[in-house]
Amino acid sequence: MILAHLRLRRRVSLLAAGLALGRERDEALAHLQACARCRADHEALTAVVAAMERDPLRSAEPPLTASVLAARVLHQLDRAEAPARRPRYWLVALPAAAAAIAAAFLAPMLVERLKPEPRVVTIPPAEPNTLLSEDALARIERNLAREQAARYLNEAGEVLVSVAATGVDCDRTDDRLDMGAAPERSRELLEKRRMVVDSGDAVASAQGVFDDVESALRQVADLPACVKRRDVELVQKDVEARQLLMRIRLMQRELEG
Amino acid sequence: MGAEGGADDRELMERLARGDRDALAPLVERHYRRLYRIALGYLRQREDALDVVQEAFVKVFQAASRWDGSADAGPWLSRVTVNLSIDRWRRNKRRGQTFSPLVEGDHLDVLADHRPAPDRGVLGRESGERLAVALRALPERQRAVVVLRHYQELSLEEIATTLGMSLGTVKSSLHRALHRMRDTLTEAKP
Repeated sequence: MILAHLRLRRRVSLLAAGLALGRERDEALAHLQACARCRADHEALTAVVAAMERDPLRSAEPPLTASVLAARVLHQLDRAEAPARRPRYWLVALPAAAAAIAAAFLAPMLVERLKPEPRVVTIPPAEPNTLLSEDALARIERNLAREQAARYLNEAGEVLVSVAATGVDCDRTDDRLDMGAAPERSRELLEKRRMVVDSGDAVASAQGVFDDVESALRQVADLPACVKRRDVELVQKDVEARQLLMRIRLMQRELEG
Repeated sequence: MGAEGGADDRELMERLARGDRDALAPLVERHYRRLYRIALGYLRQREDALDVVQEAFVKVFQAASRWDGSADAGPWLSRVTVNLSIDRWRRNKRRGQTFSPLVEGDHLDVLADHRPAPDRGVLGRESGERLAVALRALPERQRAVVVLRHYQELSLEEIATTLGMSLGTVKSSLHRALHRMRDTLTEAKP
C-alpha cells in the first residue's frame, strides 16, 4: 500500500502539471479518490501551476526588435574577431625596441673606443627623399582616412546600439530611461565628424551612411540623461527604418578592406 | 517542437556554419522571442535575459560548424540559452545580485482576485515576488525543467531532448520541483 502510494505520488504531481495522460492519468485520478493526503497535495500543486500560468513573464516581449538584436550580435562578433585581424605590429616593434635599448647602452662605449681624430667634415648637399613615391604617399593617406572613417563608424555604431538596448529605468513613475553616456558621446562624435567626412575621395562611398549617422547622432545628442521612453523609441524606430546599424557594419567592413 | 525545427532552420544553420552572416537575422527573427522568455523565466531580470539571448546567438554562430545536423536546431538553441542562463545565475549569485526583484507593473497581483479555489489555500495573497522566490529556491536543473514546462509548455519528451536528460529524470525533477515550490510558498505565506 505504501509502495503504491509512493509510486502514485509522482503521477499526482504530473497530473497537476498537466502531463499525466491515458492510463497514468486514470490511475492518478483513482488514487486521489482514495488518498486524502494526495488530494491535498494535488490541490496545492495545481495552485502552484496556476500561479505560474498567470505569470505575465510568460508572454513578455523582448525590449528589442529582432533586427536590432541581430545587429548587436554581429557587432559583438566583429569585436571578438577584431584582435585576430589586427596587424601584428609587435613583431616589428619588439625587435626595434630591443635594438634601440642596445644602442643606448653600447653607443657611449663605442664612441669612447673609436674616438676619431678631429677632421673637417664636408656635408653633401641634401637630396630629395626617394624612399616614398608620391603615389605611395597618396595610398598611405587614403588608407589612413579610411581607417579613421571606419573607427568613427564603429564608435557611432556603439552609441546607437547602446541607445537601442537601453532599458534601465531612471524614473519609473514617469516611464523614463537612463541614457547613460550616449548623448555626451554623440556630441563628441559630431565634433569629430568634419575631420572624418572631409577626407575627399577616400571615403566618398560612405557619404550616405555618414549623413544618416549624423542625423541619428544629432537626435541622441539632443536627449537629456533621463529621457521619456517614447522619445527613445522614436530614435530607435528611425535607426531601424534606415537599417542604420546594418549599413554601418557593412560600410565599416568595406572601409577596413 | 516542430515549429522550432524544420528544413529552414537546418538551411540557416548550414549557412551559419559556412560563415554566412546574413543567415543570422532570420534565425534570430524566428527564435529570439522564445529564447528571451526562457531566459526571463529563469533569471527574472530583463537586462540579464536580453544579454543571455544575445550571447546565445553569438555562441550559436561561433559553434554552428559543430552543430549536429541530424538534430533540430530549436532544442539546441534552447539548451544553449538554458546553460547560459545558469551561468549568468551563478555569476549573479557570486556577486550577490540574485535577489533584485523584477517589477512588472502590478506583477501577479492578479492572483489575489482571479485565482481558483485551491490557490487560496496555498498562495493566500502571494505576489509575483513570492513566486519568483519559490523559483529561485529550486536547484538549477529543476528550475530549468519547470521553466521549460510551465513557461514554454514543452512536453516531457521535449524537455528531455532539450536538457539532455532521461525521461525519468525529467519526471522526478518536475515532481520534486513542484513540491519544493509548494513548500516555499507555504512557508512564505503571510
